Amino acid sequence: MFAVTGNRKTTATRSLRVLAVLGMLALLSACGASSLVVEGSYPTPAVRKIPLSLGLYLDENLRNFLYIEYTETGAEEYRVSSGQTHVQMFSNLLPAMFERVQVLESMDDAAAAGVDAVFAPSIEEFQLALPQKTRLDSYEVWVKYNMRLLGPDGAYIADWVLTSYGKTPMEGLLSVEGGINEATVSALRDLASNFTLSFGAVPEVRDWLASRQNVVSNQ
Amino acid sequence: MSTSKFVRQGFPLWLLAGLLTACTTTTVDEFRQGETGIESHEAIVILGRRQGSTYETREEFVNCVGERVSRGSGAIRVIPEKEFVDSLFPWFEPRTAPLRTSDLQALMEEQVVADKIEEYGVRYIVWVDGQTETTNRTGSISCAVGPGGGGCFGFGSWEDDSNFDARVWDVSSFANVGTISTDATGQSYVPAVVVPIPLIARVEANACSSLATQLQQFVNGD
Repeated sequence: MFAVTGNRKTTATRSLRVLAVLGMLALLSACGASSLVVEGSYPTPAVRKIPLSLGLYLDENLRNFLYIEYTETGAEEYRVSSGQTHVQMFSNLLPAMFERVQVLESMDDAAAAGVDAVFAPSIEEFQLALPQKTRLDSYEVWVKYNMRLLGPDGAYIADWVLTSYGKTPMEGLLSVEGGINEATVSALRDLASNFTLSFGAVPEVRDWLASRQNVVSNQ
Repeated sequence: MSTSKFVRQGFPLWLLAGLLTACTTTTVDEFRQGETGIESHEAIVILGRRQGSTYETREEFVNCVGERVSRGSGAIRVIPEKEFVDSLFPWFEPRTAPLRTSDLQALMEEQVVADKIEEYGVRYIVWVDGQTETTNRTGSISCAVGPGGGGCFGFGSWEDDSNFDARVWDVSSFANVGTISTDATGQSYVPAVVVPIPLIARVEANACSSLATQLQQFVNGD
């Protein structure tokens, strides 16, 4: 009899503990940051291909790029992972611009890959503007990149800064995460457009392209 | 006549809906600068201008105009905006889209662009630029819920003003052949005595309808 009562008590205590833990977890999750993995699709540029072979090196920082938006009190509010969507965008963009593109796991693989140059972009700054903070009716994303073009031996060819901007109106969006996602995809689309059209106009790149053109025509 | 009998006798719901719609005033202006006309194998593309820092032409409005232009007796084949912009990426993005007809002429020197436009059979590019602004918001409505039920009381009103321009570029001559402007205004009301009754002025819908009708006639050369 006593044993039965004791078991019932133990079960009830366990249930209460489980409920308390679940309650704590629910409270903690309500206070924690909301995580978002940016997903989107990017059109393929309709441009003439540059008759060169390019190595694409996306380092660990870019592939796993994470931006954290903090509240005014300094607590994490949103964790925005945009590394994979950057990989997707560059992997879609560059094969449309160059005759051949080879993805490199390491800069050391460039020489063996037989590429004419290696493109290695990096994100320098990422800014997010949320309507609840700006009092505007749109989500905005601003990203600053450092674009580097290197020789297969790692020698400097060009190094330039590109910025991109994306905006999406609040109207019709069901969640803040949706707004951040749309604005980030819009910023990456802006980057793709700007990069495609300005690549050949960067002075060092222009000189390099001209020199490669001479090499090709002399061969 | 009791209400139920009134409804049973077929009081049309659309008439009720119509009575609950506030009034809108729409003005359409057309400025023609060249001859127009379109063959059955040709198409138009309607694109929203998104270069401004203060506003962007809404995609929904552009789609609404396109959808209306492509139906009716004078129907014109309209290439969907997103399909066209994606297909011609990156040439018609907010940062890169041609702002003048001379820019379009320069752009058409890119063989890839010229080929795509020819493939679509685009004869006219229509640039829609504008927005709907809401002003003069007045009044307030308070709602309360108690054990015996709930209800609202008050009155709210606002004014919507839609201003849109459609510039028509002839791709064959790289010329601006005309501009159609539409201005629609309307006052919306929400009186609330227990239940709020919205009397919404369909300002943007009317602007879309008027602009599309005029644009269809303009392109057909009527």
